[in-house]
Formats: sequence, structure tokens, C-alpha cells
Amino acid sequence: MSFSELLSTSFVQNAFWAVTAVALAAGAVGYFVVLRRQAFAAHAIGHVGFAGAAGAVLLGLSPIVGLLVFCLGAGLLIGVGGANLDDRDAVVGVTLTAALGLGVLFISLYSGYANATYSILFGQILGVSLRDLAIVALLSLAVLVAVSLTYRPLLFASVDAQSAAARGLSTRAMSIVFMTLLAVTTVVAIQVVGVLLVFSLLVAPAAAAEVVTTRPRDALFVAVVVALFSAWAGLFLGVAFGGPVSFWITAIASTGYLVARIAAASRRRARRPA
Amino acid sequence: MKPLVFDDVTVRLGERVIWSHATFEIEPASITAVLGPNGAGKSTLLKVVLGLIEPSEGALRVLGAAPARGNPRVGYMAQSRHADSLTSITARDYVGLGFDGRRFGWGRRRDKRAVVERALALTGVTTYADQPLGTLSGGQRQRVALAHAAVFQPDLLLLDEPLAGLDLAAQAEIVDLINLIRDTTGAAVIVVAHDLNPLAPIVDCVLWIARRQVRCGKVDEVVNAAVLSELYGHPIEIFTTAHGRRVIVGLEEEFAHPHPHGHDHDDHVHEEPHSHLEEIYREETS
Repeated sequence: MSFSELLSTSFVQNAFWAVTAVALAAGAVGYFVVLRRQAFAAHAIGHVGFAGAAGAVLLGLSPIVGLLVFCLGAGLLIGVGGANLDDRDAVVGVTLTAALGLGVLFISLYSGYANATYSILFGQILGVSLRDLAIVALLSLAVLVAVSLTYRPLLFASVDAQSAAARGLSTRAMSIVFMTLLAVTTVVAIQVVGVLLVFSLLVAPAAAAEVVTTRPRDALFVAVVVALFSAWAGLFLGVAFGGPVSFWITAIASTGYLVARIAAASRRRARRPA
Repeated sequence: MKPLVFDDVTVRLGERVIWSHATFEIEPASITAVLGPNGAGKSTLLKVVLGLIEPSEGALRVLGAAPARGNPRVGYMAQSRHADSLTSITARDYVGLGFDGRRFGWGRRRDKRAVVERALALTGVTTYADQPLGTLSGGQRQRVALAHAAVFQPDLLLLDEPLAGLDLAAQAEIVDLINLIRDTTGAAVIVVAHDLNPLAPIVDCVLWIARRQVRCGKVDEVVNAAVLSELYGHPIEIFTTAHGRRVIVGLEEEFAHPHPHGHDHDDHVHEEPHSHLEEIYREETS
């Protein structure tokens, strides 16, 4: 099969639309992850998802059911218990280890072939079915609509919780909104890059965007663009040269962050009088 | 109408009395300094006015009504924290959040641009309004925070430690700016501070909180040896320098001897400076 024939196969087509949907949601929500300094929570939600997926497989359900239940549950837990900066690290850490413990138990109980576990850990982008694609697209669209509707209060509560509270905004409610968005986005992203590499689309593009921009709307836009580019280029390279697509996506997104840091540093140096 | 009236107000957080039986009034277009040791409940007082903490006894009227969360006629500037996420957004965006940061949904109010520009101009930050806050000096950032708090030209403006962490020149500039905002908007201003001297040129009244009591009045009615000695329960002396600066001697004992009378459990005086504030904040968000 030639390369162009490969690109037109249905599993590559499905993968293309799936990474597009994932990158849109992950880029947008990732901006708030970086702004709120909640990369640890994003990391934890991914791993909690692993336990959920393992549990669902054990019960003979679709992994995405377990992912949704566990990620949303953990999101709510962290959103309520970790609304305050002081408690957040501990709440996230305990939630993370409790879920990982469950995940270990579920896997030990499961006697079947561990293939499902492997794809949850590292993604299965070239195995996305039409049904998976529909779910991913729908969830991603829901996340984007929710982000656009809650953009201002989410931004306000994220950058200055005290003033936001004084203006009558419930910082706890916004914490729950954020964690819910993060949980849904994580579920979507796990389909593509897996539990271990959720970060690559959620944190790296947004971190790069925050370094090179100063206005929130620009940063949000750049984060989505970098995520899209990483996802598309990663898929293309994976198909063209082989190797896991999630590896390529991670490599490109991380390089993007590195380049942004170097660019910002050299710009600062240029501005400073010699 | 008085912008702020306290009638025998007592505030508790959990079992603990923060201060009790506070009775005072604030005049329109006046500037009041709130003074007292760390952890005495100065920030708590602002949060009671904002409607974030409910008094356990007594009643207060804010601009003629019961305190209500998110009243746009009450401006509030929180104590600045250094390691926060604010640093990457611009001054204009931050002031914009003061305008419509609590609004959900698409679209924006048409007058946003004009209102934000007016606040930026009033506080003199127009020239650096498009720089990230992280690149500004401490004084510039406090100006932006004042623009944020005063964006609606409120009738009551609450400022929590606006002079903290600034050098003397920057302090003087912020004091002038507070005075300018008062003169321009006619707002009654309440300023939490830990030193009266930088504010002395513009302050009309002093609200002093110590040992769970609140005293309010004209500067000389409160900041005199007899009143402060009675408030603190030990002799306080006040000296005035040739330049009119007040040196208050005896307050430092608050920190050196947290339990001056043995039986008197002043658990508020030997806390870490900020633990109390955080506790109140946690109280609010829970």
C-alpha cells in the first residue's frame, strides 16, 4: 500500500478527526490548567482514568464508561476538596494513589489478555472506531461550548480568586466547573494518547502559549493551534515513518514548549540594553 | 446616607470571637485607616462589609442596605500575593475582569471599553496597560489593582494593605492616588494598613482593632496614649516627630508577650502574620 493510499484508509481518517477533536478540547482546557497551576491535578485525573478503564474491562463494559465515571468522580472530589490552594496538593495526591491502588487490584483480578490495559496506557489512535469517534467528537464539542460560556468567570477565578469571591463569584463552583471540564477532556484525550501521555496535549501546548503571549484570548488561541499542530504532525509522522503516534505527538508538543521558552528568553535578552 | 454603619457587630469564626460590639459610622467621601496587630481581624472587617462573612450578632448597613455579595457599588482590592497566576495577563485584561469577570455567556457589554479606559486613565496606568502584570513594578501593580477595584467608580472602596511591600516613594504615590480617587469619585475609602504615618496626610478617621475590640473616630480621638493604653491594656506612649510623624511605643509588646495577663488567651496576637487571613479566606470559599 502506498503512503497516499494509507492516508485515505478509514482508520487513518478516523484517527485524523479524533486527534483534531482531542487537540481542540485539550488546547483550550489546557490553558486553564496552566493558568491555575493545576498540572498535578491533570496528571492525577489521567491516572484515575486508568483505574476506571481497568474496572470497566473487568466488568465487561466499554472502557470509556469506566473512564467517564472515574474521571468525573475524581474531578468532583478534587474540585470540592481542593478549591483552596492550601489543601489542593494533598487532595490530588490522595485521590491519585487511591485510584491507582484500585487500578492495580482490578488488573490483578482480570484474567484476560492485557491488550486493553496497554491501549489505555499508551493510546490506540489507529484503532478508533466510528462509534469512538462520535463519542470523542461530541464530548469535545461539549467542552468547547462550555469553555466559551464560562470563559470570563473561569479566568477571573483562576487569576484572582479573592477579588472574584468579593465580586460575588463562587470560587468553589468555578473549581468544580474547571475540574469537570478537565475530567471530560482527559477522557477524550486518553482515547488518543493514553493515560501516560495525556500531558502532551493538555499541558505542553498551553504552557508554550502562556510563554509567548500576554493576553488570555491569544494564549487560548495559540494553545489550541499548538495542540492541533502537534496532533496532526504526530499522526502524519507516525503513519509515514512508523513508531507510536502518541510518541510523535509528545515529542512535537514538548519541543514546541522548549522552542517557546528559548524564543521568549532570547526576546527578553534582545530587549535588554547591552 | 452614611456609606457604612456598624451597630454592635460581633464576628465569630467557628467558636472564636474575632472582635465584638463594633459600633461606628463612616462618612461619605472620607478616608478611614484600619490599624491593629496582625491577625486582629482587619481583613475580616472588610470581608464582613463585602458580605463574605456574616456577623454572629449585631447589624450593619452598607450603602443603606444589608451587605450583599458582589455589590458593584462596593469596590474591593485584595491583599496582593506575589506568587500568583496574575503575572501573565495584561493590566487592561485584569481591569476588564473587574468589569465583567463574573458574567457567564457570550458577548460583552458595549460600555466595557469606555469604563475600563476611564479606570485606567483615573489611576494613570494607560501607558503600560498592555504590559503583562509580571513585568510591572510593585507600585505600578498596585495602581492596576486600584483601577480594578475602582472600575465602577464605587461609593465605598475597601483596600486591603495597598501599601504593603512598597518603598517609601511608591507608598507616597499610592497615597496620592487614593486621595485622587476619593476626590474624583466621592467614594468613602477604608484602607487596611500597618502604619498610620504614610496615610496620615489623607486620613480622616482611624479604626483601630486590638484585643477583640474596635475603636473608631477622628485620628486624634483614637491615636492618643489614653485610648490606645486602654485598648491594649498596658501603657502606650505616642511621640510626634518634628515632621509630624507619630512614633507609637508599646505596641511591640503584643508580639513579645502574647499572654500579658496569664489568664487572657489572646490567641490572635501570636499567630503567623498571614495564617489568620488564610483562615478567613478558607472560611469564605467553603
